[in-house]
Amino acid sequence: MKKILQITLGIITSVGGFLEIGSVTTAAQAGALFGFQLLWAIALGTICLIFLVEMSGRLAAVSKHTIVDAMRERFGFPFFFFVLIGMVLVAFLVLIAELGGIGFALQILSGLGFPLWALPVSLVVWLMMWKGTFSLIENGASLLGLVTISFAVAAWKLNPDWSSVGASLLPTLPEQDKVKYGYLAVSILGASISPYLMYFYSSGAIEDEWDRSYIAMNRVIAGFGMTLGGVLSICVLIVAAIALRPKGVQVDTFPQAALLMTTALPRWGFYLFAFSMLFACFGAALEISLAIAYFFAQGFNWNWSENLEPSKNARFAFVYTIIILVSAVPLMLHVDPIRVTMLAMALTSATLPLAIVPFLFLMNDPIYLGKYRNGWITNSVVGIVVLISFVLAIISIPLQIFGG
Amino acid sequence: MDLVRDVLDKKLVDREQCDMGRASGLIMQFGEKTQPHITHILIGGPTLWMRIHPALGRASEKLARLWGPKSKEPVRIPWSHVETVGKDIKLDVVAKDTGALDWEIWIARHFIERIPGGGHEEEE
Repeated sequence: MKKILQITLGIITSVGGFLEIGSVTTAAQAGALFGFQLLWAIALGTICLIFLVEMSGRLAAVSKHTIVDAMRERFGFPFFFFVLIGMVLVAFLVLIAELGGIGFALQILSGLGFPLWALPVSLVVWLMMWKGTFSLIENGASLLGLVTISFAVAAWKLNPDWSSVGASLLPTLPEQDKVKYGYLAVSILGASISPYLMYFYSSGAIEDEWDRSYIAMNRVIAGFGMTLGGVLSICVLIVAAIALRPKGVQVDTFPQAALLMTTALPRWGFYLFAFSMLFACFGAALEISLAIAYFFAQGFNWNWSENLEPSKNARFAFVYTIIILVSAVPLMLHVDPIRVTMLAMALTSATLPLAIVPFLFLMNDPIYLGKYRNGWITNSVVGIVVLISFVLAIISIPLQIFGG
Repeated sequence: MDLVRDVLDKKLVDREQCDMGRASGLIMQFGEKTQPHITHILIGGPTLWMRIHPALGRASEKLARLWGPKSKEPVRIPWSHVETVGKDIKLDVVAKDTGALDWEIWIARHFIERIPGGGHEEEE
């Protein structure tokens, strides 16, 4: 029973790490601009993520080491430091975007502008980490995050043409706006395959004291959790394609995104969207702040656990305190969270090889995994997706930035 | 034993299973008549940053003199205290007595304990 309840780790990793401002914004933009055509990118990202998350859990359960532990030990400090800088910068941008997402959700509910919400929101996120335990965060955020199932209800009510939905799972090129299409594909992959999610999940497996007996359950948790996130993202895209595309709405601003569910659910759609964003971004903000603190603590082998009193792992608590407070500053200065989101998602894609290539090496290392090493299927799937996202990122990001 | 693969950057754990940083450097002694041998494991401080660039090592030394627990860095653990070298390195020491936790304690006392609900680092 205890093992089955660990499904909450999958749900929080998924709702917090997968379905958050990044996935909602990129999927909504993709649907509004290209109809169902970019569904394949979400499907591809989801498949890759299932493999990556399963790998993160397996590494922790078998070796009792997280990805960060193993990376520092196997590749040495200079390489670790290089990855630390890259990952923390990107995760920090994503954290700003998530806090902005919470602020925006509160803005459309209350009418007060999001910059006013930045500081209170970051204080609430911090307080939850300061006083809460890992299981409180895990269970609380998973339970609240379930409101995002309303995206699926909205998609169902709009009664899409399921055969064209199915056909869009295979990639095709659009007739126009090829650069924007490529950029959106990169951003969707970046929003789905977020490295901080792997660091969070493998640390969560250590916090929940997994051992080898969890290997089978880990597959179920990773498969179920990430599929849930993937299906909900697909629903966001479907809803945007049916409700926003005919009206020519492009989802460049948050108030436009808020209209996403009002066609399908005229009475409750507005509030369901606001609460979905609120809880999904809240889960994500907790997950990213923890992931950054875990990254430092594990890399330097400080004491770390969300279950300890802050003074018992002072450096760990210090890192998340500083990160959360600093990330509120750009929002107070009116930085647009949607723009930060798009930049963060594209940068995530571009830096994916940095996170995933060393991880693939570790997953093939007999010292850590013995007979539980990766097979050729896992290595090939992850390798191919990383290559695709990297190539897309190299082509599309400069084109988007310089070509407008 | 392959020193770089098996010792450097490995987790150091004390007698009570307390995490106490990672092996950031090693001191090796070369005698005229004896074989070269490891005398100490170094933890943190300039040794670590020096591995990226000597300038970073010097900068970290200067910073540590201006700010922080002002303890003697880097921390040196005699090799004779090494109990086992496996996935982690187990040491027959008490982490707090070695100086490896000086920064942890300094940050706890100067920041964390001063925030309500932070608790106290010394309480069991």
